[in-house]
Amino acid sequence: MNWKKFFKNLKMEEQGCVPDETKREFLKIGLIITGVAAGGSLLNVVSVVAEGLATSEEVHKEYPYKPHYSMVFRVDRCIDCELCVEACNQTNNVPEYGWRTKILERVDTKAVDQQRQFMPILCNHCNNPPCVRACPTKATYKDKQTGIVKMASYKCIGCKTCMVACPYDARYFNEEKRAIDKCDFCWESRLSKGMKITACSEACPAGVRIFGDLSDPNSEVYKIVHQMGKAVWVLKPETGAKPNVFYTIG
Amino acid sequence: MKRIIILASTLILGLSVLVLSEITEEGVKYQESEEAGGPEIVYTKPVKGVLFSHKLHVKELGLPCESCHTAIFEMEAFKSQRNPDFNMDSLYKGKYCGACHNGQTAFASNTKCATCHVGVKGLERLKKKAQAVEKK
Repeated sequence: MNWKKFFKNLKMEEQGCVPDETKREFLKIGLIITGVAAGGSLLNVVSVVAEGLATSEEVHKEYPYKPHYSMVFRVDRCIDCELCVEACNQTNNVPEYGWRTKILERVDTKAVDQQRQFMPILCNHCNNPPCVRACPTKATYKDKQTGIVKMASYKCIGCKTCMVACPYDARYFNEEKRAIDKCDFCWESRLSKGMKITACSEACPAGVRIFGDLSDPNSEVYKIVHQMGKAVWVLKPETGAKPNVFYTIG
Repeated sequence: MKRIIILASTLILGLSVLVLSEITEEGVKYQESEEAGGPEIVYTKPVKGVLFSHKLHVKELGLPCESCHTAIFEMEAFKSQRNPDFNMDSLYKGKYCGACHNGQTAFASNTKCATCHVGVKGLERLKKKAQAVEKK
């Protein structure tokens, strides 16, 4: 046996060495992802052991915002009751054709035991937001204090470049506003009025959506993101967007 | 008079047995097949889209009717959904589905959520299925 070659192959098996294409092909197998509308780019379902472990050194660095708003999804608890979606739509006047958050579904009829998984998504309020870079009029911007990716609707020319740039399919064109609309962590409707959490996390009956200040060591989001017992991951880490929305199980 | 009432009620009962599918505010009910042992029931309260499958429990797992009826569930579909305590807390205390789904007889109610919870998406899908059954 050629041990040298053997070990070399072993190394190739590591997650970091698998080319993106292969990963994508792998994820396609047996997965049916529904609820992803046209407009943004498609959202990959990242497997638990995938590349996006968030408990890296990076998260321990000083947070650039105060409060540094963040959301953690305990994704296996999601039952697609969509009370979050209803609450969001009502709170933020989201029209029927639009969305600020949605629930993706994954069905695998060949899976062992449970064959269905739901996954909520919303704007990831990235630290390095591709949408902000793409906007030609600075209508979408990163709030200097809170890190929330906001919209200055009056500057939006409706070119939809941000929709294409967003890796998380978090934007839609609002016909009434004649501007792109998106999740702002309920800043306008709730947080700016003194409320502490978003409408969706308040409405969730299963404790899926945990919202808080990632820079506050006493917050629940801090405690989940900074532990090592359970995997915590982000979606599409390869885009380098540095999302502030995390996923975990339990 | 009494006879008429009895006649009428048997007629209604007879009809309700014949009904293959039903889509109401309360939820969706449809017959997967004659051998299924009962209808597929999709609850909508307290949250939308919770599936109970007679096909799985009776036909595939072979449970007899008496394991649930009528000590845990009455024969009428959606009757328990009208109770204010028809929720997860009651299940954890061993009521309703929790009588078996306790981690011993069957998987515990606080695990594998999306096995029974098919969600709004599942509810819409099964509505369509129920409509298709009705058309047959």
